[in-house]
Amino acid sequence: MSSEEHIHIPYYPGCTLKTKALGFERSAMDCARELGFEMNELKDWNCCGASFPLTDSNLMGLAGPTNVLIEAELHCKEHELDPRVITLCSFCYNTLKRTSHAFEKQPEKRTTLNAFLDREYKGTVKVEHYLEYLRDGLGFDKLAEMVKVDMSSFKVAPYYGCLLLKPGKEIGLDDPEEPTILHDFLDALGCTLVDFPGQVDCCGSYLVMREPEKAKALSNGIVDEASDYGAETIVTACPLCHSNLDKAQAANEGEGVPILYFTQLLAIALGLSTEEHKLEDNRVDPLAVITSCGAFDAAAKKSA
Amino acid sequence: MLIRPSHQDHEAIRELELATGETLSDCYQCGKCTAGCPASMNTPPSVLIRKLKLGLYQQALDSESIWSCMACLTCSERCPKDVSPAAIIEGLKLIHLRELDPRADVGALGQEFLAQSTQQAVVSGFRKFI
Repeated sequence: MSSEEHIHIPYYPGCTLKTKALGFERSAMDCARELGFEMNELKDWNCCGASFPLTDSNLMGLAGPTNVLIEAELHCKEHELDPRVITLCSFCYNTLKRTSHAFEKQPEKRTTLNAFLDREYKGTVKVEHYLEYLRDGLGFDKLAEMVKVDMSSFKVAPYYGCLLLKPGKEIGLDDPEEPTILHDFLDALGCTLVDFPGQVDCCGSYLVMREPEKAKALSNGIVDEASDYGAETIVTACPLCHSNLDKAQAANEGEGVPILYFTQLLAIALGLSTEEHKLEDNRVDPLAVITSCGAFDAAAKKSA
Repeated sequence: MLIRPSHQDHEAIRELELATGETLSDCYQCGKCTAGCPASMNTPPSVLIRKLKLGLYQQALDSESIWSCMACLTCSERCPKDVSPAAIIEGLKLIHLRELDPRADVGALGQEFLAQSTQQAVVSGFRKFI
């Protein structure tokens, strides 16, 4: 498919995707091209603020995400696209989507933020997660047709975490307690799905900064449970979940359940080279699992 | 024990409600928030709300448990009365932080933590604890 035929979607990476989660961004970009869409990074973007302010009166916390939404609006106007922005990180997605929801429910907040920022956000941008595009834009049926590698021997547990789904009323991506979007994604790839109860439990999140032992215990609980249910790897859409689940296994000296971004797994399924996808950054090396399944020899060789 | 909240306590709790946008009287103490909370709090969300409803403002504010909240939003998601305990907890944290009472020591974090952590953990941590 030539790039002229590609669908162009404005893309907001966020801070972590440019540093600790480079593999997430690169694999997502490579897969997008293969699937027929192009993610165009916003020209001028800032940190989304990472966490959406939960208290209604804290408008300062909306300044960062509002600036991002303004950039997306400008980008779409310049390139004559429908106003939208696609994200990968659960934190960015949550913050941008909740900000956009807050403005819909309370338009006076947008007026205040516009006055404060001295810029105008018109309130038009649709915030979309990469997974959402795969499900609703491309379609999982079409995705399934594009899979080139037999993934059936790969036992994968979907792990959603919190911010990709909650609060359900504002995010609206999926059922916040019993989601299926990652399950359906793994089905489309042809993986052996490992459903486990801890899929929406909290990994400890930013508590790693203040009570690292408590965060580690939560992460370990999730990994152990997935493992008990037979998972050989866990996929996630959040760099902080990835980091927490991976680091919790630090004491295992490289043994354990490897954690992959869902786009890294997608790249393998599409038969792409994973050389640039930073699989080697994981404490628990995923290559052993990948190569242990005969079908993945090709992908593993490409990344070696 | 006879609980006699002062006028100031009532005022502070009213201000907390205004700042968070939550209505404490909506809570009927079903305990679903506490049942789902992963933070192993000594004063779990439903107890914290009960204290505030009784006017025990200082007890709620001084609770160490609020600093263990990870804002996973399980409590808010499951509340049948549409109360967000996570928002009330964040409101209590903000009262501390706005009075220059940080709960994480930046100097003690160490280079290793900063080098290894994701930006989102550091930025969120700064927002919630400092």
